[in-house]
Amino acid sequence: MSEKPTIDAYLKNIEEGHFRAYKCVDCGMIIAPPSGSCYGCGSSNMTWAEVSGKGKLVSFTVIHVAPDQFAEEAPYYVAIVELAEGTRVSARLLGFDPMKPEEVKLGISLQLDYEKGKSGATYLAFRPA
Amino acid sequence: MVTFINNAPFIIVFIAVFMARATVEEVDSTLPLTNTNIVSAAQTKFGALQGVTLREMFSEAVDKATIHAGIPKKDIQAAFIGSFIPEMLVHQGHTAPLLLDFAGLKGLPATRHEDACASGATALRAAIMAIESGFYDTVLVAGVEKMTSVSTNKATEALAAAADDQFESSIGLTFPGVFGIAAVAHMQKYGTTEEDMALVSVKAHKNAATNPLAQFQKEITLEKAMTPRYVAWPLKLFDCSPISDGAAALVLTSNEKAKQYTDLPVKIIGTGQASASMNLCDRSDLTSFSASVDASRQAYKMAGLEPKDMDFAVVHDCFTIAEIIASEDIGFFKPGEGAKAVRDGITALDGDKPINPMGGLKAVGHPVGATGVKQAVVVYRELIGDAGPNQVANNDTAIMHNFGGTGATCVVNIMRRADI
Repeated sequence: MSEKPTIDAYLKNIEEGHFRAYKCVDCGMIIAPPSGSCYGCGSSNMTWAEVSGKGKLVSFTVIHVAPDQFAEEAPYYVAIVELAEGTRVSARLLGFDPMKPEEVKLGISLQLDYEKGKSGATYLAFRPA
Repeated sequence: MVTFINNAPFIIVFIAVFMARATVEEVDSTLPLTNTNIVSAAQTKFGALQGVTLREMFSEAVDKATIHAGIPKKDIQAAFIGSFIPEMLVHQGHTAPLLLDFAGLKGLPATRHEDACASGATALRAAIMAIESGFYDTVLVAGVEKMTSVSTNKATEALAAAADDQFESSIGLTFPGVFGIAAVAHMQKYGTTEEDMALVSVKAHKNAATNPLAQFQKEITLEKAMTPRYVAWPLKLFDCSPISDGAAALVLTSNEKAKQYTDLPVKIIGTGQASASMNLCDRSDLTSFSASVDASRQAYKMAGLEPKDMDFAVVHDCFTIAEIIASEDIGFFKPGEGAKAVRDGITALDGDKPINPMGGLKAVGHPVGATGVKQAVVVYRELIGDAGPNQVANNDTAIMHNFGGTGATCVVNIMRRADI
């Protein structure tokens, strides 16, 4: 946990189903996705942080027209999720019918998950808690 | 304080940290603009211009803005060019000298400016600084993009390069998706509806119907705009601007030289530019674009004017929700009241605060690098009374708003006819 975090390692962690955020060593702010400098204090001194995996839904969309590499997965949800630790991430939203987006309520509690895409990549994802 | 900075490097570090934590408002430029005049402005037709290449479109716009407007090309001292991603769209880099050579301006200093969909307005802003500083008297600003020579998928892939490839594009978030997320947030917070957004599209098509340079010269009904062909829910086909080809050009010059070319120059009296996080998830408010708010504040402050002083606006309606949010971010309406303004016809051509009177990106087209320059062309034509059936009734002062990509760049300019 003490090594300096990198974007490559951040993405690899997601690929391996072990999401970790950045944490500012100087002020303690939790940051994800990675930033080279802290939004709170400007420091570039970062370490890793485990997160609770709890979050809430801030907003979302349903992608119907997707780029080639995701075309087979459409329609799918992409959401903005605020983690309990305060930072926000973009992630796939699981557990809802993409043809019934009007049933999804903002503010609901979510739990960290992962989705193995048809493209072969693993996406950061959340589902209802 | 400047003396201290020169003498003590450690203070620079302190200041740098302080500046990072200071609000952007504290570092706004308040330099008044006094010397920048637009003396001619032109665009090509926008659309799928089959058989017309990047350099030919560019050259056509430049000729219209120079020799056809009575401005000899030999008077141009430098060129500022907006173009987003010709590398992917037409497999051509280092476009500025290539374009200038083809347009008969070989030899001049030529630089391309790239800030995604705001490329055109960032080129314009660089030109404003060049004129205001006295470095040049007369310069060309031009924007161009050729998007239809590749497949729609390839063009979409090129556009996606303006989003964060590692953290958002990589999970399948698209550009319409970015604005879909903003739309959902706006709908939830303010009660904006899909029909409100569709009304923006209906207005755009209505205005473009009488604009011969528009990609879609055809009115649409509300029912058609509501056709449930979802691109990124809640955004449907008619909420999205099209893939387009086109070019636009302006000639900017100093007060002294302006008189040689026209009796009715348009002055740029305020300019602002701001950036924001590329990632949508790093923004605290999804119902407003902070770069638009910041750039607007800068431009109004520089011009010494307020939103109420603006007769009309040209804003970046890449998606219908983007126009509604922009109308709030530039201060025309309070947050959450942009949709009501559309419903009440306030932003219509004959409304109190017309927005995109010639049809906007939605119906005129969105050749990315050309758009910011084209917006200035529209403002210029409206201000000098040259907008034909699309002429707004009050046309002394206006604001233009051009933003890039996910809203990570925004440029706002305030323009006023020189006789005001």
